[in-house]
Amino acid sequence: MNSKVNPSEVTGTTEGGGDEGSHGHIKLKYQPAVPVPKGKLAVWLFLSTEIMFFTALIGTYIVLRFGAPEGSWPTPADVRVLEWLGAVNTFVLICSSVTIVFGMEAAKQDMPVKAKKWLLGTFVLGCVFLGIKAYEYNSKFEHGIHPGAPRSLLYDRADLNYLSAVKSNLDAEILSIEKEKTALVSESVAAHDHGGGLEDLILIRAGLVQWTQKTVGETESPMMRELALESLAHQINPRGPNPRVDAYLANEIADVRNRIAELMGQQETIDEDVREMQSRVSALSEELEAEQDDAKRSEIESSLAAATEASRKAATKATEVVDLLKPLTDRVNAFEQFNGIHDGLNEHFHLKLPMVIPSGNTWANTYFLMTGFHALHVLGGLVAFIVLLMFRLDRSRAGLMENVGLYWHFVDIVWIFLFPLLYLF
Amino acid sequence: MNETDANTGDPVESSNTRVFLFVFLMLCVLTGLSFWVANSYLMENKVVGWAAMMLVSVAKALLVILFFMHLWWERAWKYVLTIPALFMGVLLVLLLVPDVGYRYMTYSKERRENAPEPAVSEPVVGKSAVPTLD
Repeated sequence: MNSKVNPSEVTGTTEGGGDEGSHGHIKLKYQPAVPVPKGKLAVWLFLSTEIMFFTALIGTYIVLRFGAPEGSWPTPADVRVLEWLGAVNTFVLICSSVTIVFGMEAAKQDMPVKAKKWLLGTFVLGCVFLGIKAYEYNSKFEHGIHPGAPRSLLYDRADLNYLSAVKSNLDAEILSIEKEKTALVSESVAAHDHGGGLEDLILIRAGLVQWTQKTVGETESPMMRELALESLAHQINPRGPNPRVDAYLANEIADVRNRIAELMGQQETIDEDVREMQSRVSALSEELEAEQDDAKRSEIESSLAAATEASRKAATKATEVVDLLKPLTDRVNAFEQFNGIHDGLNEHFHLKLPMVIPSGNTWANTYFLMTGFHALHVLGGLVAFIVLLMFRLDRSRAGLMENVGLYWHFVDIVWIFLFPLLYLF
Repeated sequence: MNETDANTGDPVESSNTRVFLFVFLMLCVLTGLSFWVANSYLMENKVVGWAAMMLVSVAKALLVILFFMHLWWERAWKYVLTIPALFMGVLLVLLLVPDVGYRYMTYSKERRENAPEPAVSEPVVGKSAVPTLD
């Protein structure tokens, strides 16, 4: 084993180097099957199983990702993925791969202090990677992107299930704010800073959620039902411009405004009716008081009763119209107040209403599975670094450092594949 | 590459350092390259863009394996481990190709109806869904 040269081969294979049989016996030479130290062989075997482990995870993602029809997979913006942050993390890991290589070289040259410095640098870079990862995870959790139930706010499509989820979520939010408010009044604590004021939430409930519920319940056309639900989802969490919804909303609001004008016209005539009936009733009752003749009295009495009945009916009709007007004006108010919000109600008011992101849950599951296992491997590497840092890293430890380095490079390679797959595709 | 006697630890490492720095530089350049591909005209045809990015990733992984993990300098035993592992990895991915194709090409009516559909088509203009009041 003197043919070729290997810069990584430090400890060599001591088993092979016995002295030649000088006493005449046959001395057996132990020839290892693979001419590398046992530790290194073990690490390489471990890594070859790890390759298959991560290939399986990535393969699952590939089937789900590329088997999904065009457009039904979340874009990076949908799921709050920042491409440049992934690139920075890639750079951090590449740097850490270089530092550990230099650390090993230093140990090989018997420079333990230098080796320790490089290893410490690697450790810090690994921590930076995990820090950035934690920040990324947090920004997803903040937007309700969790790997599945019960916390996930992601829905695949805007359907009735989604609508009821929005409704119950909003109701719970309003209830909690109301409770908080009464608690604040009784305890007179400084007001808690909440993104969405109670009035906003109540308007969202009346003018958006309950309106959509009403529309969905009353419309006959399935296409219109779908559009109503889609527009609700779009207003809560827009996924880029949606001309379909814009056209639908413009159409709908114009319709609502017409109906309001129509109802206002009706209201005027009804109010006139009410006034007329009331004046007739008061005129009749005056007449009744003035009248002495019994026959005429009963005649007036019956017409008074009829007038009272008519007046009552007119008043009922007036309240009916007011009831009809209420949701319509709520709708217009909500539209005027919220339509200018381009980042969606969730973002604008810091709400956590359910969101429609096609394949969002599938994405979250695969994303957290792959990055989570990768992060666990990074964590394992950091633990190994801590253990190594406790030793004197001279030439005798170079082999150990190489083994840890091999593992660390593998972790880097996994990220090299995860980065484009998760951030850039 | 250059002759170093690792067993005696003679410090003939300067050219190795140069190799490592060069590899590091290449890795940075390749990371930039895949980032550029993701935002370039290559993504107009997604398959081309994806293939380009995967090629870049394979190149990066090869650089790390060959130089940082020293496989370039290792003796023939390296093939005992890497070739089966590579074979299994590639085979696993290739085995998935029919799956992807099957999922993609035979998209059943039931699945389409229950799928998260993007449904971005022509704007619908017509009668709105505002409920009538009578």
